Amino acid sequence: MSATYISTARLSAATFAGRLAGTASRLTRRGSGASIRGKVMLRIDPRALSKLLAGKRVAIVSGTNGKTTTTHFLASALRESLGPDAGRLVHNAEGANLHHGLASALSEQPEADIAILESDERVVGDMIKLGHPEVLVLLNFSRDQLDRHHEIKSLGRSWRTALAQAGPAGPVVVANADEPLVVWAALAAENVIWVDTAATWTQDSSLCPECDAKLVRIQPDSALGQDSDWFCTGCGLARPKGDYRVESGTIVDRAHQVWDPQLSVPGVFNISNAACALAAAELMGVDPRTALIGMRKVTSPAGRFATTQFGNTTARLVLAKNPAGWAEALPLAQSQTVILAIDSAAADGRDVSWLWDVEYERLAGRSVIATGRRAQDLAVRLRYAEVDYRCIPDLAEALAGHPEPVDVIATYTPFQRLRRMGRV
Amino acid sequence: MNTRGRRVEVVLIYQSLLGLYGDRGNATVLMKRLAWRGYQPVLSLVEPGDPLPGSGDIYLLGGGEDAAQVSAVRALKADGGLYRAVDRGAAILAVCAGYQIVGNSFTVGYKDEVISGLGLLDVTTTRGSVRAVGEIISRWNGRNGEEQWLTGFENHGGYTRLGPGVKPLATVEIGVGNCGDGTEGAVAGTVIGTYPHGPVLARNPALADHILELALGHELEPLVHPEINKLRRQRLARVRRLHARNSLRVPSG
Repeated sequence: MSATYISTARLSAATFAGRLAGTASRLTRRGSGASIRGKVMLRIDPRALSKLLAGKRVAIVSGTNGKTTTTHFLASALRESLGPDAGRLVHNAEGANLHHGLASALSEQPEADIAILESDERVVGDMIKLGHPEVLVLLNFSRDQLDRHHEIKSLGRSWRTALAQAGPAGPVVVANADEPLVVWAALAAENVIWVDTAATWTQDSSLCPECDAKLVRIQPDSALGQDSDWFCTGCGLARPKGDYRVESGTIVDRAHQVWDPQLSVPGVFNISNAACALAAAELMGVDPRTALIGMRKVTSPAGRFATTQFGNTTARLVLAKNPAGWAEALPLAQSQTVILAIDSAAADGRDVSWLWDVEYERLAGRSVIATGRRAQDLAVRLRYAEVDYRCIPDLAEALAGHPEPVDVIATYTPFQRLRRMGRV
Repeated sequence: MNTRGRRVEVVLIYQSLLGLYGDRGNATVLMKRLAWRGYQPVLSLVEPGDPLPGSGDIYLLGGGEDAAQVSAVRALKADGGLYRAVDRGAAILAVCAGYQIVGNSFTVGYKDEVISGLGLLDVTTTRGSVRAVGEIISRWNGRNGEEQWLTGFENHGGYTRLGPGVKPLATVEIGVGNCGDGTEGAVAGTVIGTYPHGPVLARNPALADHILELALGHELEPLVHPEINKLRRQRLARVRRLHARNSLRVPSG
């Protein structure tokens, strides 16, 4: 009994100290306070994260792109089904998804018994071990911040190993069947629900993760009635058949029921994210109708797709972190003037070579404003794309004086600054 | 010589394997710099299993992960077209992993498996003590003025040592380069290997034009792009400033 008492006391002390540090950080305007709060907590009680997760029903969402929005979908689906008991649910809604951020979010609502958490790709293995999640959603893998993560395959391997070690006690995995590396990792789990997401980004998976032979990719073609497909030319690895499917903007569930998602966030990729969230919600006991009612209430998860005012300018904010994300974001930008904000702080990746993997040529005919600390790199890229642009490195200046609504696509650091400036 | 309308073919080799770091950007830069001068540039995208076109003027190889490197070198050896291209005098730009595979050999994985390369450059790559990741500035050997500074971003675990059959492309001012011995890249005839990856030609237009001149066999009129000069000035100043600040810092511990 005394051991339990000491353990609980230590967690309480850690939570208290963390809260002080977080408040100090917020008051001094250094940040949201979430990360520092978690850091202090884990310093005082290294086992804080596993203690906070103990006894909860846990769902984890990870992947390179879409994890914040998907986690919001899933949390909102569950809240809808909980109704007046929605306070039982804790969710790291702001997207702080490393150990510190997760501990911080959980400590904010210690009484919650359901945790819906997005987790950085590097933390998935630990979360499987510490949190014993009942559901794990694995969305996609693409190159991102290569100055830090040198090989995406090693991340996939870490997921696969953790799932194999968890064995029958491991989570049911909801996995994107269109992503070879996700499939390879998920196959180590005892139970997998496959989602055919109709994803089109294939540039980051040309070799088989199992045997390194060439993968054959078949692009979806609606005119030919052709679904996307992939298979390995060397071993038996191939796209599993989807239990859930995204089909012409609808979601087909396990029972072959077709749902029109009618989401409040734009983009076909968000229908794919919603399909994964729907599968996860059903695993957690929410019927699809209720789940979708909840998911439609998600409008601007952690500021993504938020429309806000910057002085007299109305702007919609879109986050894009890597070539796969930009391929999704660029078609969303419909305004005549488009503002693109680029930085290379640690959270953006210090190397901006990826600018050359983004098809900025699509913006020909529009007037583009290049902004952010790496605006000049973008300016050169736009020059070679023969797109008209103005280079205005200062964000506030770039946003000022647009009579028509503008779409803004930003990498992580300027996106967070814009959220603060636009109060979203 | 009237060059207007002359067809110039740029071959981008195995984007699916060697396209990790915006490597298609080098093709974009070369194509536009030809078009802006009135040439008729043609881009050929080749994937493993397709024959390399025998008509290329410039061949580009980019960066990739270990397994991709091994696949690429196997396919290029089976094809043989790159050897014939070098014999014809075509220009080759091999960047990062591409640089390693045109050498004599390189190693992959934590067991340091030795893979024999294409042998187009007399260089040998083995795993280095620490991964080289960061901005790099080097001085292009034999060049003067502003254009002598090459600016880019390197990210490689392999360290490359030069044999007697090549000359270094440049001398490192800031960064690691080949293996921390002060040299960066390698040149033999019309084959150039270098570590600064992805769109190295975007930041270094003089190097882009040099490759075009190698392929065309004559000099080109300069193009004036103030935004590129501004980017170069910004990167050079920022990287030097950060380097100076870090050098002043007293090592802790």
